[in-house]
Amino acid sequence: MRDKMDKVISKVVTETIEKLVFMFASLYDPENSTEEDPDIGVSVSFTGPFSGTLCMKVSGEVLSEIAVNMLGVDDEDEITLDDMNDALKETVNVICGNVLPVIGGKEAVFNIGSPEIIPEGEDLKGSDGEELASDVKLSLDEGRCDLVLFVNGKIPEVVE
Amino acid sequence: MALNILVVDDSAVMRKMIIKTMGMCGLPIGEIKQAANGREGLEELGKNWIDIVILDINMPVMNGEEMIDEMKQDPEIKDIPVIVISTEGSSTRIDRLKEKGARFIQKPFTPEMIRDTIYEVTGVGEGDER
Repeated sequence: MRDKMDKVISKVVTETIEKLVFMFASLYDPENSTEEDPDIGVSVSFTGPFSGTLCMKVSGEVLSEIAVNMLGVDDEDEITLDDMNDALKETVNVICGNVLPVIGGKEAVFNIGSPEIIPEGEDLKGSDGEELASDVKLSLDEGRCDLVLFVNGKIPEVVE
Repeated sequence: MALNILVVDDSAVMRKMIIKTMGMCGLPIGEIKQAANGREGLEELGKNWIDIVILDINMPVMNGEEMIDEMKQDPEIKDIPVIVISTEGSSTRIDRLKEKGARFIQKPFTPEMIRDTIYEVTGVGEGDER
């Protein structure tokens, strides 16, 4: 079941990243890649037919590129740290909004919380009682992007 | 006719992205006002002549749906067209917003989606006199 969940989430995330921040994603291949582990994280919690937390970690290069592409600026120096954090939060927010209907069904109503930056050095983890439901690692143009979904209670079957 | 637009979204980056995208569409844009939540949005509507409201749903203080409900109670602003641009993916909630008269665009959006929706609600589009 994890496999199916990972595939569905990979597909939705790949499409969302391409449309939102104009970056192409592919599944991370550890044997043919020299990309470093991502180190900048963000998480967003949600409640609804099932509740949980979606976490995302990206490398510094990916974070800069996300902000530059979202704001449409030519010069990376025009981007502030606040812009980068805001861009990362909005990206995980949009991904969460697109992932949940695919898992829970289009009619399901979820309440998505405000995304929060994960302090440097902390691992991706869910809230108390949440269990790992999906773990996806992607390679973007500029580096790595990892997504982890934690769900409270029974891991839902993918509806799509 | 140049359109005065109010963009309400708690993400400053998303507000900039929406404003930049509208500019790319060649739409005749007049003044653009910004607000970070529904409460601030209502305050801007009270102070400015606005032709269209671009509105997010999930925001602190007052969310987008609550702002639409408040707008409907005020005869001065109840007929201003509202375009919701949100991550919302629930058809149940999207239908509810449409019943309140709002148009809906799901993030991520394309410039064409914004251009076409603004044209549908105002009749104003690319090439109209600024």
